[in-house]
Amino acid sequence: MSVIETLSPARSRSPGWRPSLPGRHALLPYAVPAAILMLWEIAGATGLVADTVMPRPSTIFATAVRMTLSGELFTHLGVSAARALAGLVIGGGIGFALGVANGVSRISETLTDTTLQMIRNIPHLALIPLVILWFGIGEGAKLFLVALGVFFPIYLNTLHGIRNVDSQLIEMGRAYGMTSRELFRRVVLPGALPSIFVGLRYGLGIMWLTLIVAETLSASSGLGYMAMQAREFMILDVVVLSILLYAALGKLADTLTRALDRRALKWSPAYAGR
Amino acid sequence: MQAVNLLPRDIEVPPMLRGNQGASVRLSGVSRSFDANRVLAGLDLHVRPGEFLSIVGKSGCGKSTLLRLIAGLDKPTTGTVTVDGKPATQAGDRLRIMFQEPRLLPWASVADNVAIGLRNGPDPDAVAEALELVQLPDKASFWPAQLSGGQRQRVALARALVSHPGLLVLDEPLGALDALTRLTMQNLIRDMHAKAGFTAILVTHDVAEAVALSDRVIVLGQGGILSQTEILRVGPVTRGSAELAAIEGEILDAIFAA
Repeated sequence: MSVIETLSPARSRSPGWRPSLPGRHALLPYAVPAAILMLWEIAGATGLVADTVMPRPSTIFATAVRMTLSGELFTHLGVSAARALAGLVIGGGIGFALGVANGVSRISETLTDTTLQMIRNIPHLALIPLVILWFGIGEGAKLFLVALGVFFPIYLNTLHGIRNVDSQLIEMGRAYGMTSRELFRRVVLPGALPSIFVGLRYGLGIMWLTLIVAETLSASSGLGYMAMQAREFMILDVVVLSILLYAALGKLADTLTRALDRRALKWSPAYAGR
Repeated sequence: MQAVNLLPRDIEVPPMLRGNQGASVRLSGVSRSFDANRVLAGLDLHVRPGEFLSIVGKSGCGKSTLLRLIAGLDKPTTGTVTVDGKPATQAGDRLRIMFQEPRLLPWASVADNVAIGLRNGPDPDAVAEALELVQLPDKASFWPAQLSGGQRQRVALARALVSHPGLLVLDEPLGALDALTRLTMQNLIRDMHAKAGFTAILVTHDVAEAVALSDRVIVLGQGGILSQTEILRVGPVTRGSAELAAIEGEILDAIFAA
Protein backbone atom coordinates (compact mmCIF):
# COMPACT_ATOMS: atom_id res chain seq x y z
CA MET A 1 0.00 0.00 0.00
CA SER A 2 2.97 2.30 0.19
CA VAL A 3 3.55 1.70 -3.49
CA ILE A 4 1.50 4.55 -4.84
CA GLU A 5 1.44 5.36 -8.49
CA THR A 6 0.42 8.70 -9.87
CA LEU A 7 -2.73 8.70 -11.91
CA SER A 8 -4.03 11.11 -14.44
CA PRO A 9 -6.61 13.39 -12.86
CA ALA A 10 -10.13 12.03 -12.79
CA ARG A 11 -11.63 14.66 -14.99
CA SER A 12 -12.27 12.93 -18.27
CA ARG A 13 -15.46 11.41 -16.98
CA SER A 14 -17.50 12.38 -19.98
CA PRO A 15 -20.70 10.40 -20.46
CA GLY A 16 -19.34 8.97 -23.72
CA TRP A 17 -21.27 5.99 -25.03
CA ARG A 18 -22.98 5.24 -21.74
CA PRO A 19 -26.66 6.22 -21.85
CA SER A 20 -27.58 8.72 -19.15
CA LEU A 21 -29.87 7.63 -16.32
CA PRO A 22 -33.47 8.71 -16.68
CA GLY A 23 -34.92 10.91 -13.94
CA ARG A 24 -33.49 11.70 -10.54
CA HIS A 25 -30.94 9.25 -9.21
CA ALA A 26 -29.35 10.97 -6.21
CA LEU A 27 -30.33 8.07 -3.93
CA LEU A 28 -29.55 5.28 -6.37
CA PRO A 29 -25.94 4.70 -5.19
CA TYR A 30 -27.31 3.92 -1.71
CA ALA A 31 -29.80 1.28 -2.88
CA VAL A 32 -27.30 -1.60 -2.62
CA PRO A 33 -26.02 -0.70 0.90
CA ALA A 34 -29.66 -0.34 2.05
CA ALA A 35 -30.55 -3.74 0.61
CA ILE A 36 -27.54 -5.34 2.32
CA LEU A 37 -28.57 -3.81 5.67
CA MET A 38 -32.07 -5.18 5.25
CA LEU A 39 -30.92 -8.70 4.39
CA TRP A 40 -28.48 -8.58 7.28
CA GLU A 41 -31.22 -7.56 9.72
CA ILE A 42 -33.50 -10.33 8.45
CA ALA A 43 -30.71 -12.93 8.71
CA GLY A 44 -30.11 -11.90 12.33
CA ALA A 45 -33.77 -11.73 13.29
CA THR A 46 -34.58 -15.18 11.89
CA GLY A 47 -31.62 -16.69 13.71
CA LEU A 48 -29.82 -17.56 10.47
CA VAL A 49 -26.78 -15.70 11.78
CA ALA A 50 -26.19 -15.83 15.52
CA ASP A 51 -25.86 -12.49 17.32
CA THR A 52 -22.60 -13.71 18.83
CA VAL A 53 -21.12 -13.97 15.34
CA MET A 54 -22.55 -10.87 13.77
CA PRO A 55 -24.83 -8.46 15.64
CA ARG A 56 -27.82 -7.08 13.79
CA PRO A 57 -27.88 -3.52 12.38
CA SER A 58 -30.63 -2.58 14.82
CA THR A 59 -28.46 -3.73 17.75
CA ILE A 60 -25.51 -1.77 16.41
CA PHE A 61 -27.69 1.27 15.91
CA ALA A 62 -28.92 1.02 19.49
CA THR A 63 -25.33 0.76 20.68
CA ALA A 64 -24.42 3.81 18.62
CA VAL A 65 -27.28 5.79 20.19
CA ARG A 66 -26.31 4.65 23.68
CA MET A 67 -22.63 5.53 23.20
CA THR A 68 -23.52 8.86 21.61
CA LEU A 69 -25.71 9.78 24.56
CA SER A 70 -23.00 8.83 27.03
CA GLY A 71 -20.53 10.97 25.06
CA GLU A 72 -18.10 8.07 24.78
CA LEU A 73 -18.43 7.78 21.01
CA PHE A 74 -17.70 11.42 20.33
CA THR A 75 -14.68 11.43 22.61
CA HIS A 76 -13.10 8.59 20.66
CA LEU A 77 -14.26 9.97 17.33
CA GLY A 78 -12.86 13.40 18.16
CA VAL A 79 -9.51 11.98 19.23
CA SER A 80 -9.21 9.94 16.03
CA ALA A 81 -10.30 12.81 13.81
CA ALA A 82 -7.82 15.18 15.45
CA ARG A 83 -4.99 12.66 14.92
CA ALA A 84 -5.99 12.12 11.30
CA LEU A 85 -6.19 15.82 10.59
CA ALA A 86 -2.91 16.66 12.29
CA GLY A 87 -1.13 13.88 10.40
CA LEU A 88 -2.71 15.03 7.14
CA VAL A 89 -1.67 18.64 7.69
CA ILE A 90 1.91 17.76 8.64
CA GLY A 91 2.53 14.98 6.10
CA GLY A 92 0.49 16.62 3.35
CA GLY A 93 2.09 19.99 3.99
CA ILE A 94 5.62 18.62 3.77
CA GLY A 95 4.69 16.51 0.73
CA PHE A 96 3.20 19.50 -1.03
CA ALA A 97 6.14 21.75 -0.19
CA LEU A 98 8.71 19.20 -1.37
CA GLY A 99 6.66 18.40 -4.46
CA VAL A 100 6.57 22.08 -5.38
CA ALA A 101 10.26 22.57 -4.59
CA ASN A 102 11.30 19.54 -6.66
CA GLY A 103 8.93 20.45 -9.46
CA VAL A 104 10.30 23.96 -9.71
CA SER A 105 13.98 23.50 -8.86
CA ARG A 106 16.25 21.04 -10.56
CA ILE A 107 18.83 21.31 -7.76
CA SER A 108 16.27 20.42 -5.14
CA GLU A 109 15.01 17.49 -7.22
CA THR A 110 18.49 16.11 -7.89
CA LEU A 111 19.31 16.41 -4.23
CA THR A 112 16.22 14.81 -2.69
CA ASP A 113 14.19 12.80 -5.19
CA THR A 114 16.34 9.64 -5.23
CA THR A 115 16.33 9.52 -1.43
CA LEU A 116 12.58 9.96 -1.31
CA GLN A 117 12.04 7.27 -3.93
CA MET A 118 14.11 4.87 -1.80
CA ILE A 119 12.11 5.65 1.33
CA ARG A 120 8.89 5.28 -0.64
CA ASN A 121 9.66 1.62 -1.22
CA ILE A 122 9.54 0.85 2.49
CA PRO A 123 5.97 0.03 3.54
CA HIS A 124 5.46 2.70 6.18
CA LEU A 125 3.58 0.31 8.46
CA ALA A 126 6.74 -1.83 8.59
CA LEU A 127 8.21 0.99 10.67
CA ILE A 128 5.74 0.41 13.52
CA PRO A 129 8.15 -1.52 15.78
CA LEU A 130 10.79 1.14 15.30
CA VAL A 131 8.31 3.96 15.80
CA ILE A 132 7.08 2.43 19.05
CA LEU A 133 10.66 2.22 20.26
CA TRP A 134 11.25 5.84 19.31
CA PHE A 135 8.03 7.48 20.40
CA GLY A 136 6.50 4.92 22.77
CA ILE A 137 2.75 4.55 22.35
CA GLY A 138 2.02 8.28 22.70
CA GLU A 139 0.61 10.68 20.15
CA GLY A 140 3.98 11.14 18.47
CA ALA A 141 4.02 7.60 17.10
CA LYS A 142 0.59 7.88 15.48
CA LEU A 143 1.24 11.34 14.13
CA PHE A 144 4.53 10.20 12.62
CA LEU A 145 2.99 7.18 10.90
CA VAL A 146 -0.01 9.06 9.51
CA ALA A 147 2.18 11.94 8.31
CA LEU A 148 4.58 9.53 6.62
CA GLY A 149 1.73 7.64 4.96
CA VAL A 150 0.05 10.80 3.67
CA PHE A 151 3.33 12.37 2.56
CA PHE A 152 4.07 10.16 -0.44
CA PRO A 153 0.86 10.33 -2.48
CA ILE A 154 0.74 14.09 -2.07
CA TYR A 155 4.44 14.54 -2.82
CA LEU A 156 4.36 12.32 -5.93
CA ASN A 157 1.20 13.81 -7.39
CA THR A 158 2.24 17.40 -6.73
CA LEU A 159 5.57 16.75 -8.45
CA HIS A 160 3.86 14.94 -11.31
CA GLY A 161 1.33 17.75 -11.70
CA ILE A 162 3.92 20.51 -11.76
CA ARG A 163 6.18 18.64 -14.17
CA ASN A 164 3.33 18.12 -16.58
CA VAL A 165 2.06 21.67 -16.74
CA ASP A 166 1.65 22.62 -20.41
CA SER A 167 5.02 24.09 -21.46
CA GLN A 168 3.25 26.14 -24.14
CA LEU A 169 1.34 28.01 -21.44
CA ILE A 170 4.58 28.67 -19.58
CA GLU A 171 6.15 30.05 -22.74
CA MET A 172 3.07 32.23 -23.26
CA GLY A 173 3.35 33.52 -19.68
CA ARG A 174 7.01 34.38 -20.17
CA ALA A 175 6.33 36.07 -23.50
CA TYR A 176 3.64 38.15 -21.80
CA GLY A 177 6.10 39.32 -19.19
CA MET A 178 5.01 37.28 -16.16
CA THR A 179 7.58 37.14 -13.37
CA SER A 180 8.56 33.73 -11.99
CA ARG A 181 6.31 34.28 -9.01
CA GLU A 182 3.34 35.26 -11.19
CA LEU A 183 4.04 32.35 -13.51
CA PHE A 184 3.89 29.97 -10.55
CA ARG A 185 0.73 31.45 -9.09
CA ARG A 186 -1.21 31.90 -12.31
CA VAL A 187 0.02 29.06 -14.54
CA VAL A 188 1.97 26.33 -12.74
CA LEU A 189 -0.10 25.89 -9.58
CA PRO A 190 -3.56 25.93 -11.23
CA GLY A 191 -2.22 23.57 -13.89
CA ALA A 192 -0.97 21.13 -11.26
CA LEU A 193 -4.12 21.33 -9.14
CA PRO A 194 -6.05 18.41 -10.71
CA SER A 195 -3.10 16.13 -10.03
CA ILE A 196 -2.66 17.48 -6.49
CA PHE A 197 -6.29 16.60 -5.78
CA VAL A 198 -5.69 13.04 -6.95
CA GLY A 199 -2.83 12.92 -4.43
CA LEU A 200 -5.07 14.28 -1.71
CA ARG A 201 -7.72 11.62 -2.33
CA TYR A 202 -5.11 8.87 -2.16
CA GLY A 203 -3.60 10.48 0.91
CA LEU A 204 -6.92 10.50 2.73
CA GLY A 205 -7.38 6.77 2.15
CA ILE A 206 -3.93 6.05 3.50
CA MET A 207 -4.53 8.41 6.40
CA TRP A 208 -7.46 6.35 7.73
CA LEU A 209 -5.73 3.06 7.08
CA THR A 210 -2.60 4.10 8.95
CA LEU A 211 -4.58 5.51 11.82
CA ILE A 212 -6.63 2.34 12.27
CA VAL A 213 -3.52 0.18 12.37
CA ALA A 214 -1.67 2.55 14.69
CA GLU A 215 -4.61 2.88 17.07
CA THR A 216 -5.28 -0.82 17.10
CA LEU A 217 -1.70 -1.57 18.03
CA SER A 218 -1.10 1.03 20.65
CA ALA A 219 -3.43 3.63 22.00
CA SER A 220 -5.44 4.61 25.04
CA SER A 221 -8.17 6.44 23.14
CA GLY A 222 -9.60 6.72 19.65
CA LEU A 223 -11.77 4.52 17.46
CA GLY A 224 -9.12 1.82 17.03
CA TYR A 225 -8.67 1.65 20.77
CA MET A 226 -12.43 1.44 21.22
CA ALA A 227 -12.58 -1.53 18.85
CA MET A 228 -9.68 -3.35 20.53
CA GLN A 229 -11.11 -2.72 23.96
CA ALA A 230 -14.47 -4.13 22.83
CA ARG A 231 -12.71 -7.19 21.41
CA GLU A 232 -11.09 -7.89 24.80
CA PHE A 233 -14.51 -7.96 26.39
CA MET A 234 -16.20 -9.67 23.41
CA ILE A 235 -18.57 -6.74 22.85
CA LEU A 236 -19.18 -7.54 19.22
CA ASP A 237 -21.60 -4.71 18.42
CA VAL A 238 -19.01 -2.08 19.38
CA VAL A 239 -16.40 -3.82 17.22
CA VAL A 240 -18.70 -3.73 14.20
CA LEU A 241 -19.77 -0.18 15.01
CA SER A 242 -16.22 1.09 14.92
CA ILE A 243 -15.61 -0.65 11.60
CA LEU A 244 -18.74 0.97 10.17
CA LEU A 245 -17.61 4.34 11.52
CA TYR A 246 -14.32 4.00 9.67
CA ALA A 247 -16.24 3.34 6.48
CA ALA A 248 -18.44 6.39 7.08
CA LEU A 249 -15.45 8.62 7.86
CA GLY A 250 -13.60 7.46 4.76
CA LYS A 251 -16.65 8.17 2.62
CA LEU A 252 -17.09 11.58 4.25
CA ALA A 253 -13.48 12.53 3.56
CA ASP A 254 -13.81 11.42 -0.04
CA THR A 255 -17.05 13.37 -0.51
CA LEU A 256 -15.45 16.51 0.90
CA THR A 257 -12.48 16.24 -1.46
CA ARG A 258 -14.76 15.65 -4.40
CA ALA A 259 -16.71 18.79 -3.54
CA LEU A 260 -13.46 20.74 -3.19
CA ASP A 261 -12.24 19.25 -6.46
CA ARG A 262 -15.38 20.26 -8.29
CA ARG A 263 -15.23 23.76 -6.90
CA ALA A 264 -11.59 24.29 -7.76
CA LEU A 265 -11.85 22.71 -11.20
CA LYS A 266 -15.11 24.27 -12.32
CA TRP A 267 -13.34 25.53 -15.45
CA SER A 268 -12.74 21.98 -16.63
CA PRO A 269 -15.02 20.75 -19.42
CA ALA A 270 -15.48 17.48 -17.49
CA TYR A 271 -17.32 19.39 -14.77
CA ALA A 272 -19.29 21.75 -16.98
CA GLY A 273 -22.99 21.64 -16.17
CA ARG A 274 -22.61 19.14 -13.35
CA MET B 1 6.81 45.40 -57.31
CA GLN B 2 3.19 44.43 -57.77
CA ALA B 3 0.31 46.80 -57.42
CA VAL B 4 -3.19 45.81 -56.50
CA ASN B 5 -5.42 48.76 -57.09
CA LEU B 6 -8.69 48.81 -55.28
CA LEU B 7 -11.07 51.19 -53.57
CA PRO B 8 -9.91 53.08 -50.49
CA ARG B 9 -11.89 52.25 -47.42
CA ASP B 10 -13.56 54.23 -44.82
CA ILE B 11 -12.57 53.12 -41.36
CA GLU B 12 -13.61 54.51 -38.08
CA VAL B 13 -10.70 54.19 -35.67
CA PRO B 14 -11.75 53.12 -32.16
CA PRO B 15 -10.30 55.23 -29.33
CA MET B 16 -8.09 52.46 -27.90
CA LEU B 17 -6.17 52.25 -31.16
CA ARG B 18 -5.80 55.91 -31.93
CA GLY B 19 -2.32 57.38 -31.88
CA ASN B 20 -0.67 53.97 -31.82
CA GLN B 21 2.73 53.89 -33.47
CA GLY B 22 4.03 50.86 -35.33
CA ALA B 23 7.41 49.61 -34.21
CA SER B 24 10.44 49.41 -36.46
CA VAL B 25 12.19 46.02 -36.53
CA ARG B 26 15.76 45.54 -37.67
CA LEU B 27 17.77 42.32 -38.00
CA SER B 28 21.45 42.61 -38.89
CA GLY B 29 23.75 39.72 -39.61
CA VAL B 30 21.49 37.30 -37.75
CA SER B 31 22.63 33.68 -37.57
CA ARG B 32 21.17 30.91 -35.48
CA SER B 33 22.68 27.46 -35.14
CA PHE B 34 21.39 24.46 -33.24
CA ASP B 35 24.51 22.42 -32.45
CA ALA B 36 26.12 21.89 -35.88
CA ASN B 37 22.94 22.74 -37.75
CA ARG B 38 22.94 26.27 -39.08
CA VAL B 39 19.35 27.39 -39.66
CA LEU B 40 19.87 31.07 -40.35
CA ALA B 41 23.07 32.55 -41.78
CA GLY B 42 23.81 36.27 -41.80
CA LEU B 43 20.26 37.44 -42.38
CA ASP B 44 19.48 41.15 -42.75
CA LEU B 45 15.93 42.46 -42.62
CA HIS B 46 14.25 45.75 -41.92
CA VAL B 47 10.54 45.97 -41.23
CA ARG B 48 9.08 49.46 -41.49
CA PRO B 49 6.72 50.84 -38.84
CA GLY B 50 3.18 49.81 -39.66
CA GLU B 51 4.22 47.33 -42.34
CA PHE B 52 2.54 43.91 -42.61
CA LEU B 53 5.25 41.41 -43.48
CA SER B 54 4.73 37.73 -44.16
CA ILE B 55 7.41 35.07 -44.09
CA VAL B 56 6.81 31.95 -46.17
CA GLY B 57 8.99 28.99 -47.13
CA LYS B 58 9.25 25.24 -47.12
CA SER B 59 8.91 23.56 -43.76
CA GLY B 60 12.25 23.47 -42.00
CA CYS B 61 13.45 26.63 -43.77
CA GLY B 62 13.82 28.41 -40.44
CA LYS B 63 10.75 30.63 -40.50
CA SER B 64 9.68 29.66 -37.01
CA THR B 65 13.24 30.11 -35.76
CA LEU B 66 13.31 33.58 -37.32
CA LEU B 67 9.98 34.47 -35.74
CA ARG B 68 11.13 33.31 -32.30
CA LEU B 69 14.18 35.55 -32.64
CA ILE B 70 12.05 38.53 -33.60
CA ALA B 71 9.66 37.82 -30.72
CA GLY B 72 12.56 37.70 -28.29
CA LEU B 73 11.76 34.09 -27.28
CA ASP B 74 15.22 33.05 -28.49
CA LYS B 75 18.56 34.79 -29.00
CA PRO B 76 20.62 34.74 -32.22
CA THR B 77 23.97 32.95 -32.22
CA THR B 78 25.45 36.04 -33.86
CA GLY B 79 23.95 39.33 -35.00
CA THR B 80 21.30 41.56 -33.46
CA VAL B 81 17.51 41.81 -33.47
CA THR B 82 16.10 45.17 -32.40
CA VAL B 83 12.58 46.52 -31.97
CA ASP B 84 12.55 50.32 -31.98
CA GLY B 85 16.31 50.25 -31.51
CA LYS B 86 16.17 48.10 -28.38
CA PRO B 87 16.94 44.35 -28.17
CA ALA B 88 13.81 42.30 -28.92
CA THR B 89 14.07 40.56 -25.54
CA GLN B 90 13.52 43.93 -23.83
CA ALA B 91 10.59 45.06 -25.93
CA GLY B 92 8.10 44.36 -23.09
CA ASP B 93 4.48 45.01 -24.00
CA ARG B 94 5.46 46.92 -27.16
CA LEU B 95 5.76 43.44 -28.67
CA ARG B 96 3.01 40.85 -28.56
CA ILE B 97 2.88 37.36 -29.97
CA MET B 98 0.05 35.15 -31.20
CA PHE B 99 0.85 31.46 -31.30
CA GLN B 100 -0.49 28.71 -33.49
CA GLU B 101 -2.56 27.58 -30.50
CA PRO B 102 -4.62 30.09 -28.52
CA ARG B 103 -2.69 29.20 -25.33
CA LEU B 104 -5.39 30.55 -23.04
CA LEU B 105 -5.28 29.63 -19.36
CA PRO B 106 -8.15 27.11 -19.07
CA TRP B 107 -8.73 28.06 -15.41
CA ALA B 108 -9.13 31.78 -16.11
CA SER B 109 -12.21 33.44 -17.57
CA VAL B 110 -12.05 35.04 -21.01
CA ALA B 111 -11.75 38.49 -19.41
CA ASP B 112 -8.94 37.35 -17.11
CA ASN B 113 -7.14 35.81 -20.07
CA VAL B 114 -7.32 39.06 -21.98
CA ALA B 115 -6.08 40.92 -18.89
CA ILE B 116 -2.84 38.89 -19.04
CA GLY B 117 -1.89 41.26 -21.86
CA LEU B 118 -2.00 44.21 -19.46
CA ARG B 119 1.12 44.69 -17.40
CA ASN B 120 -0.25 47.34 -15.06
CA GLY B 121 -2.91 45.22 -13.41
CA PRO B 122 -6.43 44.47 -14.59
CA ASP B 123 -8.32 47.23 -16.35
CA PRO B 124 -11.93 46.16 -17.01
CA ASP B 125 -12.54 48.95 -19.52
CA ALA B 126 -9.52 48.06 -21.63
CA VAL B 127 -10.47 44.36 -21.52
CA ALA B 128 -14.06 45.10 -22.54
CA GLU B 129 -12.83 47.28 -25.38
CA ALA B 130 -10.45 44.59 -26.63
CA LEU B 131 -13.23 41.98 -26.53
CA GLU B 132 -15.50 44.38 -28.39
CA LEU B 133 -12.83 44.72 -31.03
CA VAL B 134 -12.65 40.97 -31.66
CA GLN B 135 -16.46 40.81 -31.64
CA LEU B 136 -16.77 38.77 -28.44
CA PRO B 137 -18.21 41.37 -26.06
CA ASP B 138 -20.65 38.95 -24.41
CA LYS B 139 -18.16 36.17 -23.67
CA ALA B 140 -16.16 37.93 -20.94
CA SER B 141 -17.24 35.60 -18.15
CA PHE B 142 -16.99 32.36 -20.15
CA TRP B 143 -14.35 29.67 -19.65
CA PRO B 144 -12.10 29.05 -22.68
CA ALA B 145 -13.44 25.47 -22.83
CA GLN B 146 -16.87 26.89 -23.63
CA LEU B 147 -15.67 28.62 -26.80
CA SER B 148 -15.09 27.35 -30.33
CA GLY B 149 -11.57 27.18 -31.78
CA GLY B 150 -12.02 30.40 -33.74
CA GLN B 151 -13.44 32.23 -30.71
CA ARG B 152 -10.48 31.12 -28.60
CA GLN B 153 -8.07 32.46 -31.18
CA ARG B 154 -9.99 35.73 -31.15
CA VAL B 155 -9.57 35.93 -27.39
CA ALA B 156 -5.85 35.37 -27.95
CA LEU B 157 -5.90 38.26 -30.44
CA ALA B 158 -7.65 40.47 -27.88
CA ARG B 159 -5.01 39.50 -25.31
CA ALA B 160 -2.27 40.45 -27.77
CA LEU B 161 -3.84 43.79 -28.68
CA VAL B 162 -5.10 44.96 -25.28
CA SER B 163 -1.75 46.59 -24.45
CA HIS B 164 -1.69 48.52 -27.78
CA PRO B 165 1.52 46.89 -29.00
CA GLY B 166 3.72 48.43 -31.65
CA LEU B 167 4.58 45.01 -33.06
CA LEU B 168 2.39 41.95 -33.41
CA VAL B 169 4.18 38.71 -34.19
CA LEU B 170 1.95 35.94 -35.57
CA ASP B 171 3.18 32.35 -35.64
CA GLU B 172 0.73 30.61 -38.00
CA PRO B 173 -2.16 31.63 -35.78
CA LEU B 174 -4.79 30.42 -38.24
CA GLY B 175 -3.18 27.11 -39.15
CA ALA B 176 -5.45 25.01 -36.96
CA LEU B 177 -8.74 26.63 -37.96
CA ASP B 178 -11.27 25.44 -40.51
CA ALA B 179 -11.35 27.22 -43.88
CA LEU B 180 -14.33 29.48 -43.14
CA THR B 181 -13.19 30.56 -39.69
CA ARG B 182 -9.80 31.16 -41.23
CA LEU B 183 -11.18 33.65 -43.72
CA THR B 184 -13.12 35.47 -41.00
CA MET B 185 -9.98 35.66 -38.86
CA GLN B 186 -7.92 36.93 -41.81
CA ASN B 187 -10.39 39.75 -42.31
CA LEU B 188 -10.35 40.54 -38.61
CA ILE B 189 -6.55 40.67 -38.44
CA ARG B 190 -6.34 42.80 -41.57
CA ASP B 191 -8.96 45.22 -40.22
CA MET B 192 -7.18 45.41 -36.90
CA HIS B 193 -3.89 46.14 -38.63
CA ALA B 194 -5.40 48.82 -40.83
CA LYS B 195 -7.08 50.51 -37.88
CA ALA B 196 -4.34 50.23 -35.30
CA GLY B 197 -1.25 50.83 -37.35
CA PHE B 198 0.94 48.31 -35.54
CA THR B 199 3.71 46.49 -37.37
CA ALA B 200 2.78 42.86 -38.08
CA ILE B 201 5.04 39.94 -38.91
CA LEU B 202 3.29 36.73 -39.90
CA VAL B 203 4.74 33.29 -40.46
CA THR B 204 2.52 31.05 -42.54
CA HIS B 205 2.71 28.08 -44.88
CA ASP B 206 -0.30 29.38 -46.77
CA VAL B 207 0.91 31.63 -49.59
CA ALA B 208 -2.64 32.77 -50.40
CA GLU B 209 -3.02 33.94 -46.81
CA ALA B 210 0.30 35.77 -46.94
CA VAL B 211 -0.70 37.53 -50.15
CA ALA B 212 -4.16 38.40 -48.85
CA LEU B 213 -2.80 40.04 -45.70
CA SER B 214 0.61 41.51 -46.35
CA ASP B 215 2.36 44.54 -47.73
CA ARG B 216 5.44 42.43 -48.36
CA VAL B 217 6.07 38.68 -48.58
CA ILE B 218 9.54 37.22 -48.14
CA VAL B 219 10.51 33.71 -49.10
CA LEU B 220 12.96 32.13 -46.68
CA GLY B 221 15.35 29.32 -47.58
CA GLN B 222 18.97 28.21 -47.38
CA GLY B 223 19.50 30.30 -44.27
CA GLY B 224 18.48 33.59 -45.84
CA ILE B 225 15.92 35.55 -47.85
CA LEU B 226 15.42 34.06 -51.33
CA SER B 227 13.00 36.64 -52.72
CA GLN B 228 10.80 39.53 -51.72
CA THR B 229 7.52 40.69 -53.18
CA GLU B 230 5.97 44.05 -52.34
CA ILE B 231 2.20 44.20 -52.62
CA LEU B 232 0.96 47.74 -52.98
CA ARG B 233 -2.51 48.16 -51.54
CA VAL B 234 -4.79 51.05 -51.94
CA GLY B 235 -7.83 49.41 -50.44
CA PRO B 236 -9.39 46.10 -49.52
CA VAL B 237 -8.38 43.18 -51.66
CA THR B 238 -10.81 41.17 -53.70
CA ARG B 239 -10.00 37.64 -52.83
CA GLY B 240 -9.22 35.50 -55.83
CA SER B 241 -8.53 38.45 -58.12
CA ALA B 242 -6.23 37.88 -61.09
CA GLU B 243 -3.56 40.21 -59.71
CA LEU B 244 -3.36 38.38 -56.41
CA ALA B 245 -3.35 35.01 -58.14
CA ALA B 246 -0.42 36.10 -60.28
CA ILE B 247 1.57 37.25 -57.24
CA GLU B 248 0.74 34.01 -55.45
CA GLY B 249 2.05 32.02 -58.43
CA GLU B 250 5.32 33.95 -58.46
CA ILE B 251 5.91 33.39 -54.77
CA LEU B 252 5.15 29.68 -55.08
CA ASP B 253 7.66 29.47 -57.96
CA ALA B 254 10.28 31.13 -55.76
CA ILE B 255 9.61 28.62 -52.97
CA PHE B 256 9.87 25.61 -55.25
CA ALA B 257 12.91 26.95 -57.08
CA ALA B 258 14.88 26.78 -53.84
